[in-house]
Amino acid sequence: MSTVTIQGVSKAFGTNTVLREFSEVFKDGEFVTLLGPSGCGKTTMLRIIAGFERPTAGEVYIDDQLVSGAKTFVQPEKRNIGMVFQSYAVWPHMNVFDNVAYPLTIKKTPKATIKEKVDRVLEIVHLSQYAERFPNQLSGGQQQRVALARALVAEPRLLLLDEPLSNLDAKLRESMRFEIKEIQRALGITVVYVTHDQTEAMAMSDRIFLINRGIVQQSGTPDEIYNHPANQFVADFLGKVDFIKGTAEQGSILIKGTQQRIAYDGDKRGAVELAVRPENILFSTENAELSGTIESQYYLGDVNDCRVKLGEQTVRVIADPYTYRQLHIGDTVGMHIRDFIVFDDDGTLEEQLQIKT
Amino acid sequence: MKISAQAQRPQAAQRDLGPLFVKTGLVILLVLGIAMVIAGVLGGRTFQASGFDTESGFSYIHSMTGALQTRYQRDIAPALESLDEESRAAVTQKLGEMLAVYWAQTRETEEADARAELEAFLGALPEKDRDQAVCELFDVAFAVDGPRVSSAIKKELAALDAQARASLRQTLLLALTDETVTLPETAQGAVEELEGAEREQMLLQLFLVSAQESNETLPTDLANGMKKAIRNGNARVDAYKSAVAGEVGFIEQFVISNSRTVILLGALLMLDMLLMMVLLGTEHSWRIDVKWIVILAIIDFMLVFQLLPLVYLVVKAFFPEGSFTLETFRRLYTYAMNWSALKNTIIAATATMVLGTLLAFPLAWLVGRTNLYGKKFFRSLFVLTYMVPPYVGAMAWLRLLNPNVGTINTVLRAIFGLTESTGPLNIYSLGGMIWVLTTFYYPYAFITISRAMEKMDPSLEEASRISGASPIKTVMTVTLPMMTPSLIAGALLVFVCAASCYGIPSIIGAPGKVHTVTTRIIEYYGLGTQGLNDATGLAVFLMVMAIIILYVSDFVVAKRQYITVSGKSTRPNIVDLRAWRVPLTCLVSLFAVIVILIPFATILTTSFKVDVGKKLFEPGNFTFGQWTLIFSRSETLECLKNSLIFGGVTATVGIVIACAMSYLLQRTNIRGRKIPDFLITLGSGTPSVVIALGLIMTMKGNFGINIYNTAYIMIVAYLIKYLMMGMRTVVSAMSQIHVSLEECSQISGASWTRTMLKVTGPLIFPSIAAGWFLIFIPSFYELSMTTLLYSNSTKTIGFQLYEYWTYTSQPQSCAMAFGILMIVVLLNFVLNRLTKGEFSI
Repeated sequence: MSTVTIQGVSKAFGTNTVLREFSEVFKDGEFVTLLGPSGCGKTTMLRIIAGFERPTAGEVYIDDQLVSGAKTFVQPEKRNIGMVFQSYAVWPHMNVFDNVAYPLTIKKTPKATIKEKVDRVLEIVHLSQYAERFPNQLSGGQQQRVALARALVAEPRLLLLDEPLSNLDAKLRESMRFEIKEIQRALGITVVYVTHDQTEAMAMSDRIFLINRGIVQQSGTPDEIYNHPANQFVADFLGKVDFIKGTAEQGSILIKGTQQRIAYDGDKRGAVELAVRPENILFSTENAELSGTIESQYYLGDVNDCRVKLGEQTVRVIADPYTYRQLHIGDTVGMHIRDFIVFDDDGTLEEQLQIKT
Repeated sequence: MKISAQAQRPQAAQRDLGPLFVKTGLVILLVLGIAMVIAGVLGGRTFQASGFDTESGFSYIHSMTGALQTRYQRDIAPALESLDEESRAAVTQKLGEMLAVYWAQTRETEEADARAELEAFLGALPEKDRDQAVCELFDVAFAVDGPRVSSAIKKELAALDAQARASLRQTLLLALTDETVTLPETAQGAVEELEGAEREQMLLQLFLVSAQESNETLPTDLANGMKKAIRNGNARVDAYKSAVAGEVGFIEQFVISNSRTVILLGALLMLDMLLMMVLLGTEHSWRIDVKWIVILAIIDFMLVFQLLPLVYLVVKAFFPEGSFTLETFRRLYTYAMNWSALKNTIIAATATMVLGTLLAFPLAWLVGRTNLYGKKFFRSLFVLTYMVPPYVGAMAWLRLLNPNVGTINTVLRAIFGLTESTGPLNIYSLGGMIWVLTTFYYPYAFITISRAMEKMDPSLEEASRISGASPIKTVMTVTLPMMTPSLIAGALLVFVCAASCYGIPSIIGAPGKVHTVTTRIIEYYGLGTQGLNDATGLAVFLMVMAIIILYVSDFVVAKRQYITVSGKSTRPNIVDLRAWRVPLTCLVSLFAVIVILIPFATILTTSFKVDVGKKLFEPGNFTFGQWTLIFSRSETLECLKNSLIFGGVTATVGIVIACAMSYLLQRTNIRGRKIPDFLITLGSGTPSVVIALGLIMTMKGNFGINIYNTAYIMIVAYLIKYLMMGMRTVVSAMSQIHVSLEECSQISGASWTRTMLKVTGPLIFPSIAAGWFLIFIPSFYELSMTTLLYSNSTKTIGFQLYEYWTYTSQPQSCAMAFGILMIVVLLNFVLNRLTKGEFSI
C-alpha cells in the first residue's frame, strides 16, 4: 500500500548518538523487522517514522510525501499510520469498542460506518464478543489484539509495531506471531516491526534489519542473514555460534594452538575467525577433519549438548542424544564441520561482540 | 536413637506448653482488664455518691483556688486597696447582693434563702478573708457563664498597657459603688446598651477580664476544669466551700482521678487481648511475636489519643449534659452568625477547590508535559509553596490588598485615577479570603496531579496522536479522562484543607467580619462551658464533612484509579508548544510573580519598615530594628526553641512509628497490620481544630491522662495530624526495594538487625530523611492546633507570630515570618543535600 523511504537519518539525544546515517527503502506490502539488542536504536527509528521523534539529520518519506526533514515536519496525527505499542496503550477509561472506534471518531466518520468497520476489524482479531468490555476485564493477549484492531481500523497506509509481543507469555506470543502475519498477508499492508527476539523476526519478516549501536549491520531475508552473516556480530546475534581462531593459508586454515587443519578454498589470508554453528559440527569417525576432547556433556532429552576442547579453544556441538551414553568426559572425538564462515580476525569487531553480551 | 528420643521429649513438651501459656496469659490479662474496668466504674460511683459531679476534678478545684488567690492578690487586691474603706465595703456588699441574685436565679430558690446561705458561708470565714472570698466567688460564678465578653473587647483590653488596665479596673470598681462615674470609652461602648443588674454583671466581667488579661494568659485550663467541676449553683458553691475549707481528702482525689485511669487502662487491656485472641485464633498459631506488641502499641496510642477524643467529641455534642439532646445543634444552627460561618466555609472551600484545580491542572500539564522554558524551576517553585505556612500568605496579601493602604490598591488607584480613599479591591471579604486560600492550597492539587501525570504511561497519549488526534484533542479525550480520579482526589484535598484552615480566615476574615467554622470554633472555645459545647457542635460538622470526603477520596475514587502499566519507556511525552511557548512561559512567570514573588517580597520589605503605612525608603522608615529585636528578644527565642524541640520530637517519634509501620505493611502479611494504617490515615484527614478540641476535652485528667497545657499534648496533636506524611514516604520507598535484597543479605549470613542496618537502612535512608522533614516542617510552624493547645510555657514561634500580628506589630511579625520562611528553605536545602538530590520538597 505504501513505501517508506529513509534518507540519511541520524538521531542524537544530547551528546548520545543513537542512530547513524540510516538510509533504506521499505517496499510496499513488505513486512520489515528492525532487530537488535536493547538500546540499539531500533525503537528510535520506529518513533521517527511515527513522528514522535524528530531526526537530527536526514529525511523520511512515506510514499512520496516528505514527512520529516530539515524544514518539514508532519505531526503524527497527520501521517495516517497505525501503531501498536509495547505496553498496548489501551485506554482504560473506554471499552473495547470505543478504543477501536477512536481513530474513526477523530475523523468524524458517520456512526454507521464506524460500527461496520469496527465490527469487521474486531472480527479479524477475534474480539467480536468482547466489544462492551473494559480493558481491565481483558487478558494481556486480548488487550494486545484491541491495540492491533485500533491500529488497523482506519486502514492506515503503514502499520508500526513496537515490540508488541514482549509482554505476553511464550505460548500466546507464538500464536499472536502467526496471527499478525496472517492479518498482514490478508490486508497487504506495509509493516515495520521492532523486536529484540530473533525467533520472532525470523518467523515473520520479509526483510530483517539487524541494528547495533545505531548502525545497520546487515539487511536481508531471514535466510540471507542467518546463513550469510556480514560480520561476527550478525553471526553471533542470530542463533548459536562459536568462533574458532586460526590462520588462513592456501587451501586450508590452521586452527590456533593445534596442528590441525581444515580445508578452505577462499581467498582470505592470515588471522581469521571461523564462525561455526553447533548444528553444523558432526561427530564422525570416517571423514573427521578435526579431533578434540570432550570437556563436558549435558543430556537435554532430544539432543546431547557437548563442549569439545580444540587446543586452547572450546566449541559447542549439538549431537544426537544417543551419543551421551557412548561418550565420556576426556574421550577424544573426531569432528566433521559441515559449514562455516570465515571472517578476518582484525580485532575491531571484538568490541561489538562484547556489547551484545 | 534412644538418647535422642529422650532429648526430644522435653522439647516436645515445651512446644506443647507454649500455646497453653500464651492462651492462659491472654485470658488472665483479659480478666484483669475486665476487673479493672469494673473496679474503676465502682470507684467512680462511690465518688459520685459522695455528692460531687463525676466530671469534676479536685485537682482543678485546688489549683483553681490557688490561681484565684494569686489573681486576687496580684490584680484585684491592689485595686480594692486603692479604694477607701467605705467604697470597699460598698463593693463587697454590692458583689454579695449580685451573687445572691445570681444564685437565686441559677438554683431557683428564693433570693432571701440564697442570701442567707451566702451569708452563713461567708460568716464562717474570718472577716479579713471576706472581701477575697466574695471576689473569688464572683470570679467562679461569672467566669463560667456570666455575660459574654466578646473576643473583640478582649482584644481591645489586651492592647492596653498595664497602667491603663489598672486605671480601668479602678474606674470599674468605682463604677460599682457610684453609677454616675464615666467609664473609659472601651468599657462604656460595651456596656452602654445594658441596664441594671446586667450592666453590673458586665462591669464585673470586664473587671475580671481585665484582671485576667493583665496576666497575659487566661487560665483556660483552670477555667475549663472549674466549668465542669461546678456545673450548677450547688456544686459550684460546694466545691468552692470544700476548696476553701480544705476538706477535700487526698484519698478522694486519688479515687476520682484514678478511677478514670483504671477504667482506661482496663479497657485498653481488654481490647488488646480480645484483638490478639481474634487475630491469633484466625492465624492458628499461638505464638507471641514482637510484631504484635508493636502493632498493639501503635493501635493503643491511636485509640487513646485519636479515636477517644473524636468519639468523645461527638458524644459530647449530642449529650452535652449527660442526656441526649439536639439543643446544642438547634441553638448553633439557628444563630445567624453560625449560618453565615457555615455558608462562608462551604463557599470558600468550594471556590478554592474549583479555582485551585483549574489552576493546578494546566500548570501541572505545562510543567510536566510540554517544552515550557524553565519548567524545572517552576516545578520546584510551585511545590515549595506547599511548605510555606498559610498565615504568612495571608499576612502578605493583607499588606497588598488592604482597602486603604494596600500596595496594589494604591497602585491601582494611581493608574486609574480613582479619587476614593479606599478600594478598588478589599481583602477583608469572602472574595479576598478565597483568593488567599487558593494561592496557598492549589499546590496540594498541583502535587497530586503532577504525580499522576508522571506515572501515566506516555504511550497512551502517543496512541491517541497516531490515531489522528491533535495534542489538544488528546488532552481532552485521553489525558484528562485518565487523570479524573487524581483530579478529584486533588480537588477534595484542597476542599478539606481550605475548609479546615484557621490561619487564613483568622487573619483575613476576622477583621472583615467574615467568619468561618474554624474561627467560630475557636471563638466559642474562649467563652466558657456553653462555648465549649457550641465549639463541639461546630467541630462535629467539620469532622463529619472531612470523614465523608476522606472516605470518598480514599475508597471510592482510589478504586477508580486506572492502573496504567508502563512499558520500558517512561520518558514523558513532551508536547511542543511551538508558537505558544514564549507567551505561555510569560503567563506562568507572571503567575509565579503574582502568587509567590510579590507576597514574599512584601513580607520582606514590611519587616524593614517602622511604619507599615509609609514607603520603605521614606526617610526614617527603614530599620533593621525588627530583625535585631526578634533575634535578641528572649521570648521569641524561647518560642523558636519550643518549636524546634516540638517539631524535632514529633518528627523523630513519628519516623520511628513510620519505619515500624512500613516494615509491617511491606514485609509482613501479619493480620491486623492495616488497622493502625487506617487509624493513621483517619488522623491525618481530621481537621486540625477538631483534633485539638478533642484532645482538650479528653486529656485534662477526666480520662486519667492529664497532659493538658504541657508540651506532650502538642506533640501528640502534631503526631496525629502529620504522621501519615512521613509514613507514606517510607512505605513507598520500602515497596521499591525488592525483598530479595534482604533475603540475599540474610542468606549471606547477616542477622536481621545487620541486614536492616547494612542493606535496607542505607537504601531507604533518603526517604527516612525526607519523611522526617515532612513531619518536622508542618509541626514546626503549626498554628491552628497550637492556638487551642498552647500554654504560657509552650508557646511556639507560629503562635507568637500570630500574636504579634494581631496585637503588637506587623513589621515584627513579618520579620518572624520571613525568618520561618528562611528556615523552611534552608531545611529543604539540607534535605536535598542529605539525600543527594533525590528528595526536596
